[in-house]
Amino acid sequence: MNRSGATRHNHEHSKIATVEKDALLHLDRLSKHFGGIRALDEVTFRLEENRIVSMIGPNGAGKTTLINVVTGIYLPDSGEVYFQKEDIAGLPAHSIASKGIGRTFQLEELFGSLTVLENAMVGGHTRSRSGMFGCGFRVASARAEEKRMRDETMEALAMVGLEDRAFHSISSLPLGERKLVGIARALCMKPRLLMLDEPVGGLAAHEIEKFLALIQRLAKEGLTIFIIEHNMPFVMSISEQVIVLDQGSKIAEGSPEEVKNNERVIEAYLGEEV
Amino acid sequence: MNRSGRVRPHLPWFILIGAVVLLPVIIPSKYVIGVMFLVGIYGVLAISLGILIGHAGLFSLAQPTWFGVGAYVAGVLAVREITPPWIGIIMGALFVALISYSMGAPLLRLRGHYLACATFGLLIIGEIAFTQLSDITGGNTGLLDIPPLSINGFVFRNVFHYYFLSWALCIGSLWFYSNLIHSRVGRAIRSSHDSETASKSMGINVPRYRLQLFVLTSFVTGLAGGVFCFYLRFAAPSIFSFALLVELILMIIIGGIGSLWGYLLGSLVIIWLGELINVYLGKVLPVMTGEVEAVFFGVLIIFVLIFMPRGLSGWVEQLFRLGKRTYEQVRRNPA
Repeated sequence: MNRSGATRHNHEHSKIATVEKDALLHLDRLSKHFGGIRALDEVTFRLEENRIVSMIGPNGAGKTTLINVVTGIYLPDSGEVYFQKEDIAGLPAHSIASKGIGRTFQLEELFGSLTVLENAMVGGHTRSRSGMFGCGFRVASARAEEKRMRDETMEALAMVGLEDRAFHSISSLPLGERKLVGIARALCMKPRLLMLDEPVGGLAAHEIEKFLALIQRLAKEGLTIFIIEHNMPFVMSISEQVIVLDQGSKIAEGSPEEVKNNERVIEAYLGEEV
Repeated sequence: MNRSGRVRPHLPWFILIGAVVLLPVIIPSKYVIGVMFLVGIYGVLAISLGILIGHAGLFSLAQPTWFGVGAYVAGVLAVREITPPWIGIIMGALFVALISYSMGAPLLRLRGHYLACATFGLLIIGEIAFTQLSDITGGNTGLLDIPPLSINGFVFRNVFHYYFLSWALCIGSLWFYSNLIHSRVGRAIRSSHDSETASKSMGINVPRYRLQLFVLTSFVTGLAGGVFCFYLRFAAPSIFSFALLVELILMIIIGGIGSLWGYLLGSLVIIWLGELINVYLGKVLPVMTGEVEAVFFGVLIIFVLIFMPRGLSGWVEQLFRLGKRTYEQVRRNPA
């Protein structure tokens, strides 16, 4: 790892940011290589607080890698990640999560041996403190905390509409509900930033509408939401800002309208004109 | 046992405690109670190992070593009259916790069969150490003349006393573990087994919880070792060997991976099957008991894996569900 701490301000990329107020998340020339493959190549962007921002790009553009680097699953090769002005690049995943970044996974990554309620309660881990002995001996503080977490988790499940599924096993749920469990689990972390990896991939039209309403409601409550998605109508209708990634580099950024008409974007998706 | 996350029922606990208290009254046979002592102690070991393998996904095979270290430390402290016997048990368990902490910190970075190999190494080292440190442990002859356990002047003289001690430890650790796995810490541990990536992304410090659980289960196993050495009044390297590990794994598989009560059931079944084979087959085929036992358990494990892959506990659960369904059907149309 050779992350250079120098010149993180005043370089040309940051001029793109529309208003120079404090960004919730700021990526500064973030790079990640896998062997000879440049999964992320000097990606720079800012996420303003309380917005819905999407990232699109062809398969293999590095979108999921970007979430994995930001959340600490992968170590970046170079560049910086600032969350609430703090450099979090290279921290272990669990510390980054406890700073307030919640996420979902493209393939849900739910805990198969836990019930829906228990899955979501795992999200509350960072907001509870009981240790091994408190839990094992059922001391009063641990019991009180468990009850509080359970009540809060039921609220989160109600928020996504799964309260009557609380005691079901994960394997008994259809895909749409599994994706909702993933969101409820991340919500239990009470994050400032929620990163959703293909939240509506593989869902039917009426389910997608539900997700649209849910995500807009979450944004209204003050959450900043970052979405990776291939479903263009969904992205275009929900996003305030769209970032386009192609072969590890950011090729465009702007409002949905701007991105839709950007030549480089059209090129990346449809190939060069002959 | 109850995986639904609802309030857990109290009835099984009453049944278990009632059975343990009443058994010596109903069957006051020294032989039966002696075997039941073993069921309790092995139950502690099987539950501890089962929680590591089944719930945390840590294939740690050093369980007999922790058991042995706990037994030897408690035994040596008592033989040399360094501490009162009951303090020796606690010192033994603390010593085990210390070793397992220093071994676990580097070893738990390994996954799957690599962890199994490394902890298997610990098992072998333990066996050699028990034999070679003969100044302390008595070597191959074993540690002899361990005095009986006494607490505050009360001497554990007969097998009934040890029976109650072993089951107090067993029920206590079952209660502790089952609280644990249904709590914040337990969910952290179980979730890291299902998806480590997601677990970390929820803010769980996975290595820390793994190490905590590893040390905890070793500590409890060490306690069981201390109790065991005072019951036998003797300790030898061959007791804490690979054979014990095989027996424990057998209990876990037969009981059903994933259920704490199942591991205890596994201990009950395996210990009694072993006794039956020794007592009855010994009379029929006096020359080949050892081989028969090995072959019998080998065949048994194959049958269990084919016909009840979730072990006895899974099978009992299925029976309960079937019974409930028929009961509801009968109630609906009482023709």
